[in-house]
Amino acid sequence: MTKIIINGREVEADPKEPLIHACHQNGANVPMYCYHPGLSPVGSCRICQVEVKQGNGPARVVVACRTPVVEGMVVDTEAPKAHETRRECLEFLLKNHPLDCPICDKAGECDLQDYAFAEGQGEGRSNEPRRKLDKRKSLGDVIVLDEERCILCSRCVRFTEEITKKPQLAVVDLGSRSTISTFMDRPLQGNYQGNLADVCPVGALTLKAFRFQARVWNLKKSLSTCGECSRGCAITVEVLRRKDVKRFRPRYEPKVNNWWMCDTGRFSSERHNATERLVPAARRGSQGLEIASVERALKQAAEFLSGAVACIGSPFMTIEEAQSFAKLCSQLGAKPAFVSPAPSGLKDDLLNTGDPCPNRRGLLELGFEALSPAASRARIAAAPAALLAGERVLELCERAQLAAIRGPRIATFDTHALEGDACDVAVGIPEQVEKSGHWVNIDGHVGKLTVARAAPAGVQALTRSLDELRALLTSSGVASR
Amino acid sequence: MVIVRRKDLSLLEKLYLPEIARGLSITFRKLFEKKITRQYPEEPLPTNEVTRGQPRLVVKDDGHIACVSCGMCEIACPAYAITIDGGETDRAIEREPVRFDIDMLRCILCGFCEEACPKDAIYMSNELELADYSRAALVYDMEKLKRPKAALQKRIDYVYRLNNRWRKSSSTR
Repeated sequence: MTKIIINGREVEADPKEPLIHACHQNGANVPMYCYHPGLSPVGSCRICQVEVKQGNGPARVVVACRTPVVEGMVVDTEAPKAHETRRECLEFLLKNHPLDCPICDKAGECDLQDYAFAEGQGEGRSNEPRRKLDKRKSLGDVIVLDEERCILCSRCVRFTEEITKKPQLAVVDLGSRSTISTFMDRPLQGNYQGNLADVCPVGALTLKAFRFQARVWNLKKSLSTCGECSRGCAITVEVLRRKDVKRFRPRYEPKVNNWWMCDTGRFSSERHNATERLVPAARRGSQGLEIASVERALKQAAEFLSGAVACIGSPFMTIEEAQSFAKLCSQLGAKPAFVSPAPSGLKDDLLNTGDPCPNRRGLLELGFEALSPAASRARIAAAPAALLAGERVLELCERAQLAAIRGPRIATFDTHALEGDACDVAVGIPEQVEKSGHWVNIDGHVGKLTVARAAPAGVQALTRSLDELRALLTSSGVASR
Repeated sequence: MVIVRRKDLSLLEKLYLPEIARGLSITFRKLFEKKITRQYPEEPLPTNEVTRGQPRLVVKDDGHIACVSCGMCEIACPAYAITIDGGETDRAIEREPVRFDIDMLRCILCGFCEEACPKDAIYMSNELELADYSRAALVYDMEKLKRPKAALQKRIDYVYRLNNRWRKSSSTR
């Protein structure tokens, strides 16, 4: 560690990181556009300029993102000279940046907007018209580029070069005609395009799926974990008006995903806006599945769950749910198992593991057995009664083929149950974004889930339903083993 | 305790009838004077550009709504009366509301939405009346809120005049 002085305070700085990192670590809020902690610094936007004094030399204004930390350097981020230089840089950036904030999706989380607001220069001094460029340039299926808003920070270019290692973007043309473009205007490829919208410090690259969907300050953000693969990327779930899950965004987690996440995970947010839900429970009567209270449904389940019960869980169960499930299994004398579908084929070198079981490691450590969908169905077919629990368990056991099994009486705990589904009793449970708990990812890192949105009224937590079922079984004489 | 002494009446007052005649003379005189009551609602209240009535959305002269669904009024609204969903258009201004609801039962007519709007799209009209048979009917949607710009022009001019009074001359020129 190197000792430097930032704004009159002696601090320890990591010599491997640029000066701007030390500034941010120590509460000096230096603005940045081209610098991103996950990408190599280039110093193209010049907005992070600070005043640095070394030894007896004169104070100089330098860009903090390209300056290495040197023992004894004295940094003043708010020096009049540095401040004035930053202000001039901002004025140049705003020269061509359109006054689009009311329309722009980035407004509210835009670094340029925040700093322009903080500086408070409301009017430009230039009489020249702004650049007129393409405001709706499609770059593939995920991203749309607004060339006018681009400040040419080249973060997106560096992202494709350094993180995905498949260079696809470049700054083309020279001088004031520079724009961002893909090579030969080909659409962007790959499973990490969504990150481009995140790294863009302004609203130039935005997600097509999120375009004009919501104003970001209306989104309630809750920390969570992505469930699309066993990597378990740390994410923020953003919910509009307590109802619609609008976005999944990666959350910085150095042990798992750094700043990134794959598009499969990012756009899995749409799955959580499904309208068909089982509220609160159902049981099979003469008219097919009939809505019933949870209490009634559990009572009926307790009647037929005895003997050699096949217990199949979902890999989406949290540790807490799995513990309840395991207790119930031991009471029924069954071995806990979870359905483990085949790899998704999305495996890559960066994040996606291709394994669609987010809590595989956690369940295996709790003594669960991993069964393929076919093996799960075979076990269900062989038993007189079956217990299926966890989000998407019916879907992962392959609904149609599961429904073809005749014989065993089945109690299901899933987010929704269709008329043709294999279940005599179905109890509704909260979705991934509606429950709190923990998943253990493939490397043993514990990812946290928090409640981003309340479950539909009447739907109770899976742990609670399973515990209540266990209590019913105990009282009806199924001894705990 | 305060003892209030009644006024001693004079003989003329004690006689009663002259006073009745005096009172009725006032009544009959007023019958023929100019009336100061208003036959509301047949005769509506007078309004001018200062009247801060219900908020209405401006439809520009080209027929398109001026609102870009930026959400400024939604966030400025202290009564949470406004709900906006945005959508994409093919025009040069890429964004327009697909849903713009004002719950007129929640609206407190404060005019913050008018102040917050960066696009001159929402103005306090001179419409004051608010009555209906159900609560749902008083959640006004976009079609109910749209008004041609000409209908709101007086208010728009007034707000501009009001703002210009406080506007400082530019510091950079």
